[in-house]
Amino acid sequence: MKKSQGQVLLGISIVTRASVLAILIGLALNLKYLNWKNGYNLSRLVGLAAGEWWKLFYEIYDGFFSMFGDPLTIAQSNAGMTWSIRIMGVPFTDPIAFLSVLLKNHHIEVGFGLGLIIPLTLSLTFGRVFCSYVCPASLLFFSTSRLRRFLLKFFYFPDVQMSRGSAYGVLCGGLVLSYIFTHGVWTHILPYFAIGQTIFHAIGFGTLSSCFVVILGFVLADLLLGNNFTCKYLCPTGQLLGFIGSKSVVSIKRDAADCIDSCNACTVVCHLSVNPKVDETKNCSLCGECLIACPTKCLSIGVRP
Amino acid sequence: MKRRNFISSFIIGLILPFIMPLVSKFQASPLVRRFLRPPGAKSEKEFLDLCTACGQCANVCPNQCITLLGFEEGLDQLATPAIVARSRACILCMACTQVCPTGALEKLPMTEEGKKSVNMGKAVLMEDICFSYHGRTCGACYRACPLPGKAMTIGLYEQPTIIEDACVGCGLCEQACIHMPQAIRVIPRFEIEQNEASKS
Repeated sequence: MKKSQGQVLLGISIVTRASVLAILIGLALNLKYLNWKNGYNLSRLVGLAAGEWWKLFYEIYDGFFSMFGDPLTIAQSNAGMTWSIRIMGVPFTDPIAFLSVLLKNHHIEVGFGLGLIIPLTLSLTFGRVFCSYVCPASLLFFSTSRLRRFLLKFFYFPDVQMSRGSAYGVLCGGLVLSYIFTHGVWTHILPYFAIGQTIFHAIGFGTLSSCFVVILGFVLADLLLGNNFTCKYLCPTGQLLGFIGSKSVVSIKRDAADCIDSCNACTVVCHLSVNPKVDETKNCSLCGECLIACPTKCLSIGVRP
Repeated sequence: MKRRNFISSFIIGLILPFIMPLVSKFQASPLVRRFLRPPGAKSEKEFLDLCTACGQCANVCPNQCITLLGFEEGLDQLATPAIVARSRACILCMACTQVCPTGALEKLPMTEEGKKSVNMGKAVLMEDICFSYHGRTCGACYRACPLPGKAMTIGLYEQPTIIEDACVGCGLCEQACIHMPQAIRVIPRFEIEQNEASKS
């Protein structure tokens, strides 16, 4: 059976999000590798000190980094969390980090500003794709929404309707907090940053970060208050990227001739409350769920006319 | 109606992050801060303005000495990097200064000159409890010092003397001290700055 465009996109989105999660875990393990590389510089000693599995891990890391040059230097050019990350020396900066630093300092380091290029280009071309292809937290919320759909068969949960203004409110509140205290307060406001912190603290330091409580709160909000409540109403990054990408090059298209007037399948299924039925594409993250739900297959994703 | 909905949602969203200062009130805020900032850190106020808590410095530290703070030091230190010298001190490899994206840690070369230009704090020796000043030859701190002869000199019975101008405050002497409680301590630079500000 040939897979439809929507199913392919959904598959890709799960794979990319899982690989981002894997990169985060790999970066946290980088700390262990660097320690052994500096301390032992020999896989046999690592095997004696930590065990066979860690020896294998050390050999894989060492082999991978040796492909590019001096392993220690290359390994040290990979660092960070979802907030401001550096992969093979290429910096990525969160737009909110940029805003937060700009507000407090009025000047920006060049490398930090250049890190904005890739995220901004992505969101100007594809819209809010960060939310369903990159954000490691959205994988958690994706499974939470499936769990909610299952639990709704047996229980009643309310579906709270708010305006998207609350995300802008969180953005302003967070900026004020970070101005008063430090930029570190964002660790407890942004879901993906909280996930990054939790992974880094758990693997790097062996401690449970207090961000774990925040993630739990977001999951509970998703489960009890509404489908993807956090992504829709609480996450300032998604809202900001949706605003930047509201005139994106690639977007969702509707073939009006095939569309059935009485059908609302796409509007109901969308977890970001986008309405493809009336050709509204702002905040669309190209996740492909509506393409699967559409009975006449009149929706497709392509270059905006 | 739509505008009213937007404004009420905006206010709800605005209030939500302010739960955090209320929660952090339950944590005791310490009077004396005994952690060091990573090498190359600017003055404390500038550092806190620039540090985005991205954790890159902690991620590249080969000695695993940089930790990220939690709520225990108060909200204005949340998730910023710190070094606790007594548990694990800085080896001055300068890897963290190379990756800092915002310039909270100034780039320093990975050479002897780079080591000397670091200013994390100053070591203070308490001669009344130091082993070497009481006839028991020790010298552990001198063996640990990354700038022997420059930041610390040694005399009869391995009695250490700190040369304050050259001491970079890496904390290796504090980590190495075999006396309990430690006879040599590193006073963090921001504590020194604070003291000088309160004096003048």
